[in-house]
Amino acid sequence: MTLIETKDLWKTYDMGEEKVHALRGVSLKINKGEYVAIMGPSGSGKSTLMNLIGCLDTPSTGEYILNGKQVSMMGDDELAAIRNREIGFVFQTFNLLARATALHNVELPLIYNGTGAVQRKEQAKSALTKVDLADRMTHRPNELSGGQRQRVAIARALVNNPSLLLADEPTGNLDSKTSQEIMRLFDTLYQQGNTIILVTHERDIAIHAKRVISILDGQIANDETISEAQRAGLH
Amino acid sequence: MLYSSFKIALAALWAHKLRSGLTVLGVLVGVMSVMTIISALEGIMGVFEDRLSTLGPRTVIVSRIGTAMSHEEFEVKRKRKPLDMKSIPALEKGCEHCDRVTMRAFESAELKYRDQKMRDVVVAGSEYSYVDIVDITVVQGRFHSFEDDLYHRPVVFIGDLVREEFFSGVDPVGKELRIGGSPYTVIGVAKKLGSMFGESQDGFVVIPMTAFIKQFGEPRQRIQYVFQARSIETLGLAMDEIRGVMRARRHVPFDKPDDFDMLTASSILETINNFTRIFRMGIIGISSISLVVGGIVVMNIMMVSVTERTREIGIRKAVGARHGHILTQFIFESLTTTLVGGIIGIIIGFLLAKMLVGYIDMEIKPSMFAIFSGLIVSTGTGLIFGIYPAMKAARLDPVKALSYE
Repeated sequence: MTLIETKDLWKTYDMGEEKVHALRGVSLKINKGEYVAIMGPSGSGKSTLMNLIGCLDTPSTGEYILNGKQVSMMGDDELAAIRNREIGFVFQTFNLLARATALHNVELPLIYNGTGAVQRKEQAKSALTKVDLADRMTHRPNELSGGQRQRVAIARALVNNPSLLLADEPTGNLDSKTSQEIMRLFDTLYQQGNTIILVTHERDIAIHAKRVISILDGQIANDETISEAQRAGLH
Repeated sequence: MLYSSFKIALAALWAHKLRSGLTVLGVLVGVMSVMTIISALEGIMGVFEDRLSTLGPRTVIVSRIGTAMSHEEFEVKRKRKPLDMKSIPALEKGCEHCDRVTMRAFESAELKYRDQKMRDVVVAGSEYSYVDIVDITVVQGRFHSFEDDLYHRPVVFIGDLVREEFFSGVDPVGKELRIGGSPYTVIGVAKKLGSMFGESQDGFVVIPMTAFIKQFGEPRQRIQYVFQARSIETLGLAMDEIRGVMRARRHVPFDKPDDFDMLTASSILETINNFTRIFRMGIIGISSISLVVGGIVVMNIMMVSVTERTREIGIRKAVGARHGHILTQFIFESLTTTLVGGIIGIIIGFLLAKMLVGYIDMEIKPSMFAIFSGLIVSTGTGLIFGIYPAMKAARLDPVKALSYE
């Protein structure tokens, strides 16, 4: 079943004199339950594509249908509601609220959809337990290691049971050992049925996905399915 | 949504204590200065009202010169004919809606008791009914009677200051007091009125009008007629009747204004109000400038806060915060700080005003008007000066906000 469908997405930035085309007609389909990596060097347009898929931004032209809903023409508040319901973000820099506890950070999406306080705590605790942080709930980000912070962010992304987990360079700020730990967590989440899109420029991170879409100069350069053999060869 | 926004706002304020404190201070100073001024003014006006209420709401005083708001006015009124002492029966007859008609006269004289002296004490001459018209409360002894008036008896009713000066710890009733050299017997003491603008209101004595004439001769300048209307409703009618009799007796042509003044408690208050209005508005206006400055402090700090927390706003938006969520969060932040500043400002302002009017021997009570206007003004400041930064925060583009360093 199709979760994401984009048709000829263009994103153009007006830089005064010249127009910069960050995306030049991207069309792709991602099904529910897929584990996809979007790869590309910096400046390739992969971040722009992630922002569009994550409903943080709207395309200049083209269509984007997420979970059966046409989101390309939505207004700010509608997009906010879609982000809240459909998408869980995991960022390179974790993006946790520095002064809030792990529990409160995970509760955040539930605050904005009006979940009651008791249920909110319940859901947030269960999400933190899933990422093995049940004993760190009252800690603030600065009292947690990089890997733990990223796990808090993952718990926050999962807390609302979104249709899509969108991770932007999730291991970019982590050492290789912790990176592997986080990637194993993503693998587990995939096995549990979550749809995951991983944006990265590292091949050995992308290889965790089952499908790798390469972006170059704002267009899809390659869309390949990773076989077990390839994965085994890399490891 | 409102409750969670409020909680988020409180947490943010608590997290930035110094900044929140400074904002509170900015508003506090503004509200405090306005509050001090309003409370002090209200207090002073209240004291006027209190003092004038001893006149009674249905009392009318007719005098040659009632009030003069300018030197020119005074010069004109100075040329008026004095009031005479023979008009009372005619006025009594002509004023159907009057309960009582009487007169009073003033002189100032030296008082002597044994070897103690008091200079320039106000000596009032009045008829016995005066005590019922003007709210003089007798706390000891009695006021003079019809018989005292009739037989020109040298009896004196004294104010509290006179009692304190001469008869501290002694029963004054029956003692002999000398007014301008003539002996008078003390018959009663008035209730203490206190002081206004640092001057005691109790340095007076009252003697029968007949005795007054005997002592000082027939008064020409400082004489007043005092009326009491039957009720507050008929006050206007009574005044019209008195005016008619007065104009006829003084031969005022129909096209000329009155050549006497009529004062009531409310007309005196109105005159004072009018006279001080511009002054009061002026100082309230000047003190309001500090409120604007306080508002600018709020706005400035909120702008810094929004900029500094751009990333936080980005995170909140990414996980689903809508325009309204961010807007209310920041408005609650500014409202809370200004409200706290406002409340503290009101309290300090009131205490300052109390201290200030204390210097001129007056007391004030907290005024509901001052408190409500303080609350409204401080929350208004928070709203007006907080709305722009809050809108700026709500409109941030999530992509840009998330990549803000």
